[in-house]
Amino acid sequence: MLTITDLSVNYGPVHALAHVSIEVPRGEVTAVIGANGAGKSTLMRTLAGLVKPLTGEATLDGVKITGHKAEDIVRMGVALVPEGRSTIPELTVEENLRLGGMWRSRTDRAATVTEVFDMFPVLGERRSMGAATLSGGERQQLAIGRALMCDPQCLLLDEPSLGLAPLIVTQILQLVKRLATEQNLAVLLVEQNAVTALRVASQGVVLNLGQVVMAGPAQEIASHDELRHAYLGY
Amino acid sequence: MTNLMRLPGARLVLHAVIVVVLYLALMWFVGGADPLTMSNIALAAMYATAMFGMVILVGLSGQVSLGNGALMAIGAYTLALTSLNWQTVPIIGVPMNGWWAMVFALIGGIVFGLIIGGLGARLKGPYLAGLTLGIAVGIPAIANRFPDLFGGETGLLLTVPFPEGGYEPAVDEGAETGTEAVTDGTTEGTTDEALPTEGEGAGETLAPDDLLTIDDLSGDGTASELPTEGEGAGETLAPDDLLTIDDLNADGTSTDAPTDVATDVPTDVSTDVPVPDVPVDTLPPSTDQADPGFLIEYWQASLAILVACLVGFVALNLVRGRQGSVWRAVRDDPVAAAVSGISPAWSKVSAFMISSVFAALAGGVFAQLLAYVGPGAFPLGLSLSLLVGVVLGGRSSLVGAIIGAVIIVWLPELVRSAAEGRGWDEQVTNNMPNLLYGLLVVLVVLIAPGGIVGSIKSLSAKVTKRAGSPG
Amino acid sequence: MTNFIEYLLGGLGSGAIIALMALALVLTWRATRVVNFAQVGQAMFTTFIALSIQDLTGNWFLALAGAIVAGAALGVVVQYLVLRPVKRADTSGAIIATFGVLIALQAGAGMIWGGDQQAYPQPFNSAGISAFGREWPISVYDLVVIGVTLALVVGLSLVFTRTNLGLSMRATAFNPEVARLSGVRVSRTLTIGWAIAGIVGAVAGVLVAPISTLSPNSFDILLVFAFTAAVIGGLDSLVGAVALGVGTGLVISLVTGYSDSSNAPVVALVLLALNLLLKPDGVFGHTSSRSV
Repeated sequence: MLTITDLSVNYGPVHALAHVSIEVPRGEVTAVIGANGAGKSTLMRTLAGLVKPLTGEATLDGVKITGHKAEDIVRMGVALVPEGRSTIPELTVEENLRLGGMWRSRTDRAATVTEVFDMFPVLGERRSMGAATLSGGERQQLAIGRALMCDPQCLLLDEPSLGLAPLIVTQILQLVKRLATEQNLAVLLVEQNAVTALRVASQGVVLNLGQVVMAGPAQEIASHDELRHAYLGY
Repeated sequence: MTNLMRLPGARLVLHAVIVVVLYLALMWFVGGADPLTMSNIALAAMYATAMFGMVILVGLSGQVSLGNGALMAIGAYTLALTSLNWQTVPIIGVPMNGWWAMVFALIGGIVFGLIIGGLGARLKGPYLAGLTLGIAVGIPAIANRFPDLFGGETGLLLTVPFPEGGYEPAVDEGAETGTEAVTDGTTEGTTDEALPTEGEGAGETLAPDDLLTIDDLSGDGTASELPTEGEGAGETLAPDDLLTIDDLNADGTSTDAPTDVATDVPTDVSTDVPVPDVPVDTLPPSTDQADPGFLIEYWQASLAILVACLVGFVALNLVRGRQGSVWRAVRDDPVAAAVSGISPAWSKVSAFMISSVFAALAGGVFAQLLAYVGPGAFPLGLSLSLLVGVVLGGRSSLVGAIIGAVIIVWLPELVRSAAEGRGWDEQVTNNMPNLLYGLLVVLVVLIAPGGIVGSIKSLSAKVTKRAGSPG
Repeated sequence: MTNFIEYLLGGLGSGAIIALMALALVLTWRATRVVNFAQVGQAMFTTFIALSIQDLTGNWFLALAGAIVAGAALGVVVQYLVLRPVKRADTSGAIIATFGVLIALQAGAGMIWGGDQQAYPQPFNSAGISAFGREWPISVYDLVVIGVTLALVVGLSLVFTRTNLGLSMRATAFNPEVARLSGVRVSRTLTIGWAIAGIVGAVAGVLVAPISTLSPNSFDILLVFAFTAAVIGGLDSLVGAVALGVGTGLVISLVTGYSDSSNAPVVALVLLALNLLLKPDGVFGHTSSRSV
């Protein structure tokens, strides 16, 4: 389980995150939703080690991850799929995959590569082509595949739906949900697209101006009208 | 360019007052200084002139260029060629003089600034630095390539007078001295140029070779060792050092010296040129019949300071005016600047053109200080030292440029005096200034990118903030 | 026509050296998006070290090995102490810092070894090879230079395409953040990139020194040629750097043969300017890196 306790982050004088505490249990998807600028991406980047927190900490199964470098946090089992195009178009599909988890043994990595190709057959078909030739949805699959190469215990997904067609978004999120249950991963999903996110998540957290305004079962949040109007704008 | 001139009158007056006060203060100071200090001030003013351009180009416009030494060469050669080849100013028809030659140097700067700037505006960061590096290395090669026009490795001697003095028009004997000395120097097989300056204690050799291998201020040493006025001709200066080039004038004021020295020159040159670092006064002091009221160093310093102040005035108005904001805007965010109606390309070209005009004017002054133009005077090291000075002083500050110019001129002297009596090896002393420049540049980039001026500013800002409001 | 072929053959050796130096520039560019203008300074410095070893031991290969070790070390030192701490946003600062290093290295070499031109021993026969009843304008030494260059290029290509280190280096060059998130130790990878570039530069220095001479400033012109080759080759492309490096050597040889060696820098400059104007991303470049 990923446990976030009292996490605060400042960008200069701006409080990007203020005393955020979230629990992300294994085997299910926890969705963090909120409007633009709510601090969702900051939360993810802080957990991944790209941003240093001011106060607070995050632990994975009791082991503290905050304070470590990004390249060490991923080795500790927390893999981030960052927002936007996080594949490297100049490399081939397979090279993009092999970039993940280089510290693991050759056989382990080969096994994961096969797994990822089973999961995303399109990537297998294009393994030696440049990642630039992939469509948006395929690139998102590749980014998730690269995170899986790191053999994560916890998967952080930052806006996977960005710029993708609704149908593809649903596919990808369904797959994320399946991953969580099948591999017993703790999945933290950040989404602006609240409806879709809450559909696959079991827990939901609403973030506004860097603070948690509500946390609870996803269904409850999805049906909370006032909340929707106030923070999610629909 | 239209916005360059749209300045509120008040600011213009303020800037004028600043520059005039600075000019008067400098001239007052120069008036009481010894000849060596005058020469150093002349050099520092010349560097400052070029560095004002570097502030605009590197600091405000964010284009790292190593071409400004080459652009100085363009100014210097334009001045030399127009003044040597044209008796009268074309179209206007008045007699050619040093001021007109400076105007042509300016025009040369505009033309080449547009050409190189037009090329460079398309390029970013390392590409521009590399291209201009090539230009800095290539320009001396071009001078060598067309020896008939540019005088080849030997360079060209200036003969054109300024209306109010400077060196006199070449007297016959003086001119012969010049050619003799030059031939002699080159047949000696040294790579260094031997050249006399006419009419002012000729027979001196100097060979500007590499600015950044400053190694022989010690040669002439400190002011005490300097030949004093009237000591006469035959002084041999150590080659390899631009910073001492002006020393050649230290002894000479005379308008009628050539006759004295003409006979001595060849021997002098041939014996002394191969010994670069130990210049010896081979001649007894000659009787100097110069007008004691006229000092060539004073005239040189006046010229350099005047040009620096005029250029400084223009630079001040540009930097603190609208155009300065335009350059900064394009440097910081070209896309945003383009969206708000500024042309990034034109902004870069204009910065390049202005900096090259400044460089060309500095080159013109340099030529006047040396009374000579040659490829050896404009090595890569010159461009590097311009960059060093601006970075140390403060990349985007005109005051920083002045500080940088002072550092470039006086640091080697400080090293000399520090080395004296400590038994430093000549090799160590000679290279110490450059080692310091290199290390300081790295340190400044890492620790205080704003240079000296930037550091002082941020320090004083902290102090006032702490004093004003705790927390 | 015979002349033409002779000039071409004669340019191969120097072309290979330019190619190596261009390769070093490309390696640092790929690693850190910095053109290391101090590269020739580092090469000059390590060649002086090699010369000292040569004077002590008399063994050319030992001197080369010394240069390689020193080259790697110097690359690491410059990257770690100078370039790594430069703020990423300050692109001018990085360029200026490399020039600062160049100035300091040249002055340092002048302090230690003096400013005079020094001869570097020629380990192989540098006379033209006689074969098929005539003498060719290419020597055993030229062949050694070409062979070493080829070996380095092939070896580096294999490292880049076949190893985890190579993949890390490429990924880090293109997108350091994604590389970090994938577990690549980015700063170590960058430093290794500089070390490799330092090695390549050091080899180039030791190879060029017997042909030219060795002094603190004697490699300056090599920087211009290598930069020209690297930029026309696209700065990102190892193959481009090598091809254009050799090409530059051939052009210089032709220019020198048909006219005068003093024209060579001018021709290089014209080539560079034309390329930057007409094909800003280089012949082998594939990204619009020049506007980043």
